[in-house]
Amino acid sequence: MAAITLQGVTKRYGNVTAVQALDLAIHEGEFMVLLGPSGCGKTTTLNMIAGLEEISDGTLLFDAKDVTRLPPHQREVAMVFQSYALYPNKTVAENIAFPLKLRRVPKAEIERAVAEVAEQLELTPLLGRRPNQLSGGQRQRVALGRAIVRKPSVFLMDEPLSNLDATLRLSMRSLIKRLHHKLRATFVYVTHDQAEALTLADRIAVMQGGVVQQLDTPEGIYERPANTFVASFLGSPQINLLRQGLLRPEWVAAGRDVIIGLRPEDVARPAEGLVTLSGRVELVSPLGSETQLEVALGSASVTLRVPKDWRVSEGETLAFGVDPARLHVFDAATERRIAP
Amino acid sequence: MARRLMLALFSALFVLYVAGPVLWLLSSSLQMESEITAVPPNWLPPNPGLHNFIAIFTAGDSAEYANRGIAGFLPSGAANLLPSLYNSLQVGLWVAALNLVFSLTAAYAIAVIDFKGRRATLYTVLATRVIPDIALVVPLFLVIRNLGLINSIGALVVTYLAVTVPFTIFILISYFEGIPRDLYRASRIDGCGHWGALRHVYLPLSLPALVAALMFAFLTSWNEFLFALVLTQNAAAQTLPIIIAGFVMDFTTSFSFVNAAGVIAIVPPVLLAIIFQRYIVSGLTAGAVKG
Repeated sequence: MAAITLQGVTKRYGNVTAVQALDLAIHEGEFMVLLGPSGCGKTTTLNMIAGLEEISDGTLLFDAKDVTRLPPHQREVAMVFQSYALYPNKTVAENIAFPLKLRRVPKAEIERAVAEVAEQLELTPLLGRRPNQLSGGQRQRVALGRAIVRKPSVFLMDEPLSNLDATLRLSMRSLIKRLHHKLRATFVYVTHDQAEALTLADRIAVMQGGVVQQLDTPEGIYERPANTFVASFLGSPQINLLRQGLLRPEWVAAGRDVIIGLRPEDVARPAEGLVTLSGRVELVSPLGSETQLEVALGSASVTLRVPKDWRVSEGETLAFGVDPARLHVFDAATERRIAP
Repeated sequence: MARRLMLALFSALFVLYVAGPVLWLLSSSLQMESEITAVPPNWLPPNPGLHNFIAIFTAGDSAEYANRGIAGFLPSGAANLLPSLYNSLQVGLWVAALNLVFSLTAAYAIAVIDFKGRRATLYTVLATRVIPDIALVVPLFLVIRNLGLINSIGALVVTYLAVTVPFTIFILISYFEGIPRDLYRASRIDGCGHWGALRHVYLPLSLPALVAALMFAFLTSWNEFLFALVLTQNAAAQTLPIIIAGFVMDFTTSFSFVNAAGVIAIVPPVLLAIIFQRYIVSGLTAGAVKG
């Protein structure tokens, strides 16, 4: 078990700062997801934790031990890569056994460990094959096996599911979650997929431009986004950000310029206690269980998700209610959350 | 149809162009001196025999060669042929082996480890090969003489390494850069240091390139003439090209004997190529990472 603490960790490539003075405390046994668009510094952060990238500035602690300058093989972390990174010249069994072999674990013990991991990941019939004879999902299970066979206290995963097709991704996602429950190790998981982040994480660190924008539980991130970037990065379809001019005077806090965020699903039939808005329905997209609408609101267009029994048709004028308590208010200048 | 015919014709011409001299070498090495100078030439040996080869292996005893009544004369350096073959083999194998050791480690460092001045290192190494060998002969001679290595196999090994290592480094670097970086990362995470990553990832996955480098180094030193001519001046260290070239400097030369020597000179490289041919397989990295 290990807690991971980053103190002012910075990574510079020449003049470019990829990660800027990052402070992050990852608790022992926690599932931490680093979420952000490509180029936000999340993978660089993970690589610095692994020891694959040198830390330009700052301190990295595993529990109380300073590992800032330790090479990767002395950090005792396991890692799963987006590209799987299986050794093509080794069989599945040899791939899984490799980390143990390097640690000079007795042969009988290696065999037992490999058999156990293979059993757990349903790889037993594939042990004699080479990576190029496996499907993508099988390869990623082998990569997982190679990571868990060491029983490491820290697991690093760099977009492990990004190369898999949608169905496989879902089943691998639950496999990873079950692994975490079982191993109770510290997981640091990098992804740009908000659904993965929301389903897997104990806490999410949303990153952009080498800086953590918000660190919170999935609920916290979704319900109380710290700024407009976080608000629009999570949620599908995206949150509607309404600028000045579309706003009701009562929403505008004390004369400040604000941006109002409205989640597409936070609408209801007009009712007592709700603010009623109306606009022309421009597009109706049935999604089965519900319907997605695009509604013109003044010069802007908002996306709404409504129950399918609303039975809206394109061209009609729709009146809908919004609960002011469910609105997100951001300062227009700093784009930071002001209320609620 | 006509297209295929043309293709076949030109292929045949090309094969003849490439293989012709070798075939003539083979054919003439089995002929008598009088037979190879005949006009029109005997394309195939009229009375094939191993007398030239026997002469090579019994060259110490030239009387016997003359007594057989074979026309032509044994070159004065004939007795040096077998020792020079042994010298050539020694030089070639040492160069091939040491070249791999130096190039592999250097290429790994430059391709994989991110250190300051890595590009500069590569360019410096490559720049040494821009200088023509002829410009280096005299300075090299002085260096080797001051090292006391003149007339030794060591002189040739050291010199040939200076020729082969930079080029091999260059080849290996481009090959290493084709090996997915994630494999290196995975190996480091799994517990390898740099030696481990070299041994478990780069070495096994670059076998074809290593074999090519091995062949290149061996052939380069096997064929080299200029440096060998300058740096070795007696039979103790002279290599096959020098000795064979010396044959034609005699007033009368048995060309059939020279050609038989040529055949013998071809054999070791060909054997080496056959031995390593099965390692020259590509596509070994298929399936390592999502492609």
